Amino acid sequence: MEVIHLWDNVPALDGEEPVLEYYPAENKTTDATFVIFPGGAYAFRSAFEGDGYAKFLNAHGMDAFVCEYRVLPNRFPLQLLDARRAVRYVRANSEKYGIDPNKIGAMGSSAGGHLSALLANYKDPIDFEGADSLDSVDPVPNATVLCYPAIRAVNDDDQIVRGCLMNLAGDIPVENYYPDTMVTEQTPPAFIWATYEDACVNIISSYTYGKALRDHNVPHELHILTGGDHGLGLAEGIPGVEQWSGLMVSWLKRNGWLAE
Amino acid sequence: MTAYKLWENAPGLCCEEPMLEYYPAENKKTDASVVIFPGGGYNHRAQHEGGEYALYLNSIGMDAFVCQYRVWPHQYPLPLLDARRAVRFVRSKAAELGLDPDKVAVMGSSAGGHLSALVSNYKEPIEFEGVDEIDSISPLPNASILCYAVVHAPDEEGIGHAGCYLTLAGEDADYNKLAPDLHVTENTPPAFIWHTANDSVVHVGNAYLYALALRKYHIPHELHTFAKGRHGLGLARGWSYIEQWSTLLQHWFMHMGWLPEEDGTWK
Repeated sequence: MEVIHLWDNVPALDGEEPVLEYYPAENKTTDATFVIFPGGAYAFRSAFEGDGYAKFLNAHGMDAFVCEYRVLPNRFPLQLLDARRAVRYVRANSEKYGIDPNKIGAMGSSAGGHLSALLANYKDPIDFEGADSLDSVDPVPNATVLCYPAIRAVNDDDQIVRGCLMNLAGDIPVENYYPDTMVTEQTPPAFIWATYEDACVNIISSYTYGKALRDHNVPHELHILTGGDHGLGLAEGIPGVEQWSGLMVSWLKRNGWLAE
Repeated sequence: MTAYKLWENAPGLCCEEPMLEYYPAENKKTDASVVIFPGGGYNHRAQHEGGEYALYLNSIGMDAFVCQYRVWPHQYPLPLLDARRAVRFVRSKAAELGLDPDKVAVMGSSAGGHLSALVSNYKEPIEFEGVDEIDSISPLPNASILCYAVVHAPDEEGIGHAGCYLTLAGEDADYNKLAPDLHVTENTPPAFIWHTANDSVVHVGNAYLYALALRKYHIPHELHTFAKGRHGLGLARGWSYIEQWSTLLQHWFMHMGWLPEEDGTWK
């Protein structure tokens, strides 16, 4: 694993530096890749939703990157700034890594799933962009994999997701950052999964996002599995739930992102 | 396969007898069973969504029934009457056939999925019921399996399937009364739902709206939408990636305790 510095001079740096970790596949069989955004309620980042996924993709012949984006006490737009910068970096350096610049996916869990969906849908320029030529590269990923994503609060009682998104938004209303409200025909295809029993992120927000994608004719796949709570990552050894990674692999194969 | 008449003298009979076909599993592994309602827009019944499902369920060790419910020119309430009768009939035969009367699922595709969801949520008594003691048995299934099902009533957004409702109930019916997603309660049985996201006949929103209603009432369910595939695929044999749905269903049955978990065969 190689650590990549996203900027020479990180904008608004206060504390930890955001970095990108490169996990090359030992037996590389595809030029597609994913930038992975671990979950952690925008307060921390879970390793198993970062390097765990990277190693899984590596084992399937795909290079992967883990984005260690800034979390609390940093607020919007720094999380999105880091995420955009990560995609831009990979796209700008695609030749160096032997990657197709049009096959760069974003994959995220929980809050990282929210960040991936935001990255896929947020259209406005944000503060601190334009520091150098890299910022002129398109930051929109070509696909998203959203694992139990914290898309939105589903009602007034949904304090867990609201709290998570408040960690992102600070004093700004969290409703400004609901990706389902931003979907257009240009939104990249998505693979979404979660568990029925998820007591942390209500799966209704996945239905809302799936429906928004369908309303705009965006290809997508949505799997709600039974047999486990929130935050299971690859869910290896958890009957039923562990099927999700196989479903993702067949989706990637069908789309030419993984070799048959 | 044995074919049962649902009634000695079926009420409302005009031109075809509603039947229940029994497909016993050769290597039976469970006392759970499934009553299958083939799709066909309430004007016919597709064989690949009937007998073929039954044979698949048999192959995983489960008894199955295919309900040849009445379709056009028969209209509501007769298709629902037949569906309710089918669930009741299986329960009445449970002891004889070695089945658990509390593990009777319904399974349906397209319009048959609508009928399955309707029988899972319809609460009122209907005309022609009460002719014999079988009609005193609960018609509410214990689970439902909805394959690219019509659920939502015709709407401006184009999610509901107008033709299906029209054929079932005619122009003047109150379609909201027949829209299963509007009648979900805490008594609705668990569901396994699958659909293709670009289905151009029945909008995938039907799956999302039904699942959303189930989640509101904390009804356990599993949902699988696959990105690309036409309407009416049935078992989707040869559609390498969509055909996984039947394996996902098998695992869901295991999760529900309706099929034994075989050693190391989860994957």
